[in-house]
Amino acid sequence: MSSSPTLGNGLSKTAIAEKSPTHLIVQMALRDVSVLFRTPWIIITRALAFIIQLFVFAFLISGLIHIPGLNFFEYYAVGSVVATIASISFVIGYDIFEEAEEGVLDYLLTLPIPRREFIIGRALGGAMRAIIYTIPMFLIVAFVWGFTQPLSILTALLALFLLAFGVTGMSITVAVSVKSANRFDVVLALLELAVSRGSTALYPITFMPFYVSLFAPFSPVSFAADTARMSLVGFTLDLPALAGLVAFVVIFLGLGAAFYFRRLEGGIYG
Amino acid sequence: MITFERTGKRFGSLDAVKDFSITIKDGEILGLLGPNGAGKTTLMLMMGTVYRPTSGTITVNGFDVVKHPNEVRRLIGIAFQDPRVDGILSGFEVLNWHLKMTTTLDKDERRRRVEEALKALDLWDSRKKRTWLMSGGMKKKVEDAKILVQRPSIAVFDEPTAFLDVPSRLLVWKMIRQLRDEGSTVIVATNMMDEAERLSERVAIVNKGKLVASETPEQLKGTVKGGEVLELTLDDGSEFRPDMLTKFPEIHDVKKQDNKILVFLNSGTLLLPKIVDTLNTQGFKIESVKLKEVSLEDVFLTYTGQRLE
Repeated sequence: MSSSPTLGNGLSKTAIAEKSPTHLIVQMALRDVSVLFRTPWIIITRALAFIIQLFVFAFLISGLIHIPGLNFFEYYAVGSVVATIASISFVIGYDIFEEAEEGVLDYLLTLPIPRREFIIGRALGGAMRAIIYTIPMFLIVAFVWGFTQPLSILTALLALFLLAFGVTGMSITVAVSVKSANRFDVVLALLELAVSRGSTALYPITFMPFYVSLFAPFSPVSFAADTARMSLVGFTLDLPALAGLVAFVVIFLGLGAAFYFRRLEGGIYG
Repeated sequence: MITFERTGKRFGSLDAVKDFSITIKDGEILGLLGPNGAGKTTLMLMMGTVYRPTSGTITVNGFDVVKHPNEVRRLIGIAFQDPRVDGILSGFEVLNWHLKMTTTLDKDERRRRVEEALKALDLWDSRKKRTWLMSGGMKKKVEDAKILVQRPSIAVFDEPTAFLDVPSRLLVWKMIRQLRDEGSTVIVATNMMDEAERLSERVAIVNKGKLVASETPEQLKGTVKGGEVLELTLDDGSEFRPDMLTKFPEIHDVKKQDNKILVFLNSGTLLLPKIVDTLNTQGFKIESVKLKEVSLEDVFLTYTGQRLE
């Protein structure tokens, strides 16, 4: 059979979309990103909340904590950017779950975009959205603590992007594998708590309770936080953490895609 | 050409569509007429590659929907019954993004098409309004407009005029006809008799997931014997039995729904006094009498034994 569609009815006015996969992925991703730009007040209020959290709570706490060789205020500032990006990246799962419930997903699935590109586009959109959302916070931290080394900043941003991409995949996996709305909310909230709070983002591993310190080093948020800190503060590359992040992305994007396909194969409600 | 061949879709133990076979010709407007839950939307979603058929096949312009879903999706555009639009986007943005995804039109041509459609549908002044702030009718028009601007090879509309006022309904019908005139094959799922009758060149009656009949509206009406329908409303129809009237040779069929009696007959004007007399003799009190030509609604009733509400 020919790979190009036949126009049996002489339709001439509309060019049939046979676009490059990249174009379709980008369009799908931009759809998610554009939603963010239509609610800029969310970015502004979140940035303000971040400033308050940093310069009231973190400032106060760091005054109470004295750890030799560690500037906890700085530690907390970088970590909270990482924890925030993880939190925002989970949002795409809520979007997808809501779209399935409201039937918008049915519409999206009728569009001429192959399923693989569709999933990559959604994950990319979620990750881009999280990065854009967090950039004001990142800039505040970079400005206050004087992180100006371009390579360090790029490495930190790469770590943040990988974390966002992986968490997006994780969120999609949950969104397409849990059917009850209540269960979905609970699972996602617990997962978010586990990967963010059970990580080295906000407090050093040496001060964690034993039962948390067992799995905190393996949290993707720890990988991203460690990479960002090593890069911004220590000007070195934490290769094991970066490798952990890449593995996290591959595993959860793969899992997300697999679950997504499985769900689609039987029909959304099948 | 679209071909459904013994197509079925099962959800758990429920057969939403069963042994459905029909061929839809290029450039025709086919009305899928059936009550809510008849399987119309499932048929469309299978054709649109969202659902996989559990039995049989569907081919769209020669492409099997399971084996070549990407090719099929490039040919089809579906306007859903309930508007499927991002609430945070405006009508203009919804249509523009839809065109970005479904066509290779450049920015100017996209804008021209969107503007044309929004103006025609009286939505231009609200083009920047977020769709979640729109009324049900406005949202529905945006949903229909997606396919009207896309002008796909195969345009599918699910209840295209639900929530719309009369002028808007007429306008949407006109635009759907224009779409067909430009070369699109159009499938309209509806549970509104007048929509099916006035818009479709052929009507496929669907009931409980099965194809019951498929002809032109006139041909379908011709399948109902008699050509006339006498609608009688009785004060109390509980004791009424159809055989009380079928003794008249001009009467072909009698259907009873609560206190309403539908008599399919010839020479209704001449026979009416005899029918009234017969019923009065049996002790029935007639509240109203209406003699009319067979409508698609009567056809539906004849084929399915139920009315479309």
